[in-house]
Amino acid sequence: MTTGRIGRWMTVIGLLLLAVVYVRALKFTPLEASQGLAQKIFYVHVPAAWSAMLAMGLVGLASILFLFLRDERYDRFAAASAEVGTVFCLIMLMTGPLWARPVWGTWWTWDARLTLTLMLFFIFIGYQLLRGVIPESALRAQYAAVVGICGLVLLPFIHLSVYFFRTLHPQPIILKPSAPSAPPEMVTTLLMSFGVFTLLYIGFVVQRYALGTEGRVDA
Amino acid sequence: MPDTVPQTGSYMVAAYIVAAVILVGYAIVLARRARRS
Repeated sequence: MTTGRIGRWMTVIGLLLLAVVYVRALKFTPLEASQGLAQKIFYVHVPAAWSAMLAMGLVGLASILFLFLRDERYDRFAAASAEVGTVFCLIMLMTGPLWARPVWGTWWTWDARLTLTLMLFFIFIGYQLLRGVIPESALRAQYAAVVGICGLVLLPFIHLSVYFFRTLHPQPIILKPSAPSAPPEMVTTLLMSFGVFTLLYIGFVVQRYALGTEGRVDA
Repeated sequence: MPDTVPQTGSYMVAAYIVAAVILVGYAIVLARRARRS
């Protein structure tokens, strides 16, 4: 079985498991009384944010490794992870306002967390655009690596922005020093969704990386 | 605790559809790119 085919199967399984998460979120997870069903957007929005940040974190690490080792496999991986991260970042940015509208009364507000997240999306887009406009592969990989490292540097600021600034955005539920601040059924559904989104991330990256190595896309 | 639960189901449905469409759409794009050559 080729690498691309393995990635495709992981993606298919991930999409089927996403349907399972949807059913569990709707039928077997308690309703939050003050927000209604909109609270269940959390089971898509938060794991999408996790996958986007995982993607950018790995873009940054692969970029550092590329600059030190000059091994083009790291550059190809960074390119694959950046493209997939853009997809998850788009989901995060589209589902967030759909939760904010009924709960905050506005689609968007320029607070620290939201603005920094939008910057992350622009870094993802900028990374792809940069790769598209530089024809010389060694130069393209070098410049893209610098942008990837900038994205990595942004990640702790995004995560900690809810502590450092006054913001409407809720504080972390799981990724925090104390125990999760939600009922166990909600935490289980959220953790399942984290697993599914991570599987989808891996499946997509494996496929995209295989396209890069087989020369089907301009890595 | 509010007396009645807010009717916000349409936002949830929209968010779930958006996520599914983007993920399935990207999976199809990758599969087509692999098949193209």
